[in-house]
Amino acid sequence: MADYENPEIPEGINVSPTHPLKDFALLVAGISTLLVVGVLILSLLAGQLTRHIPFAHEQALAASLDRWLPAAPETPVQQQRQQYLQSLADRLTAAMDIPADMPITVHYAPAGTVNAMATLGGHIVVFQGLIDTLPNENALAMVVAHEIAHVRHRHPIVAMGRGFAVMLALSSLTGIGDGSLQRWLVGVGMLPVLSFSRHQEEEADDAALHAMLRRYGHVGEAAAFFEHIARQQPAAGGLPIFDTHPGHAERIARIRDFAARHGDAGNPPVIPLPEFMKDGKAAAGAAGAG
Amino acid sequence: MYDLIIFLILLLLGYVFGQRAEKRHFRSIIEREKQLRDILVFSERTVPDAGNAEGTLVCGSVVVSVDFFKNFVAGLRNLVGGRVSSYESLLERARREAVLRLKEEARRQGAQSVWNIRLETSSITRGSGDGIGAVEVLAYGTALKAR
Repeated sequence: MADYENPEIPEGINVSPTHPLKDFALLVAGISTLLVVGVLILSLLAGQLTRHIPFAHEQALAASLDRWLPAAPETPVQQQRQQYLQSLADRLTAAMDIPADMPITVHYAPAGTVNAMATLGGHIVVFQGLIDTLPNENALAMVVAHEIAHVRHRHPIVAMGRGFAVMLALSSLTGIGDGSLQRWLVGVGMLPVLSFSRHQEEEADDAALHAMLRRYGHVGEAAAFFEHIARQQPAAGGLPIFDTHPGHAERIARIRDFAARHGDAGNPPVIPLPEFMKDGKAAAGAAGAG
Repeated sequence: MYDLIIFLILLLLGYVFGQRAEKRHFRSIIEREKQLRDILVFSERTVPDAGNAEGTLVCGSVVVSVDFFKNFVAGLRNLVGGRVSSYESLLERARREAVLRLKEEARRQGAQSVWNIRLETSSITRGSGDGIGAVEVLAYGTALKAR
């Protein structure tokens, strides 16, 4: 027994001496950078490719999704509203160099949602809730022209192509780590997609302003919708990097800047909305132009 | 946005409490190892002078949970490879604690040494998906008491 002993073992043999926070910071920074760069490249490529999909194919794809669009208007007044919106869109289309094979179809939705959106196949949905917040035709035309510009620049199909490519790539990360790690990876991976979306909104705003200038000779009231939203939600929290849309203040400033550059004089004449467009009820619901 | 805040709070809680528990545990391990230095442990299977001693099975087992922070860092590490240092310290604690508990049992039996000591490690929450894992380390051996 005398030959046997347990010598004292120095500390730290089995543990790496790195500080846990240093390890964490290096890993988070490195992996986030890789992921953001990867997704950025992938969505740029996907966006470039989807732009080449012929519009006829996009329409065929949209036809299979038409249950997402609102049902055809039932009452005569709703039909009248839809016809008015369609004729407004047609007048704006004429001012926007829209190719002949890219028909714009406007759908009227009686819901109180304060929103309008452009979707695949040149379909645009305008909600009554949005119309109720707008003071005149010029303000409505700005929103409709914005949505037409989305279609003109192929934003819905580009967004879909990017979305599919990025989600496919991110879902291939399933099986790595646990739920919280995956949510984090997907969250970081979606950041560049959000910034693309902000860029698209700015592009559409620009095209819409040019259309307004050509159609009405001035861009007065173009900022009316954003001014309304800014009054409704005075201090929207959150970091701009997490938003799909540019801030309202930023958009109002851009529109005013455009108006100033194109010599808007004081109070140019505005065209009132027809009486039948007003619902009379106060609009409620979530806000934001799509 | 709220998901992110909750996630960061969990990460912070995991880090603060996990590190505190780890430091305290290491202090206690070093302290108790000094107290139990007179109980010798060997991995050798053949016991010298076996005829004059009496053997009994002793074991010590411990379960340690991974904290949210360690778990997240290990998950990131899985993507790029390398030493998972956040788990290294966890397993080191578990192994030493298991041997300490074994020694405490040996002392209760009145033994002076433990032979043929073996360590076994198993994950308690393997395959539970979202759950935070826990690890069990079991140490067992033959305690010898002079007859």
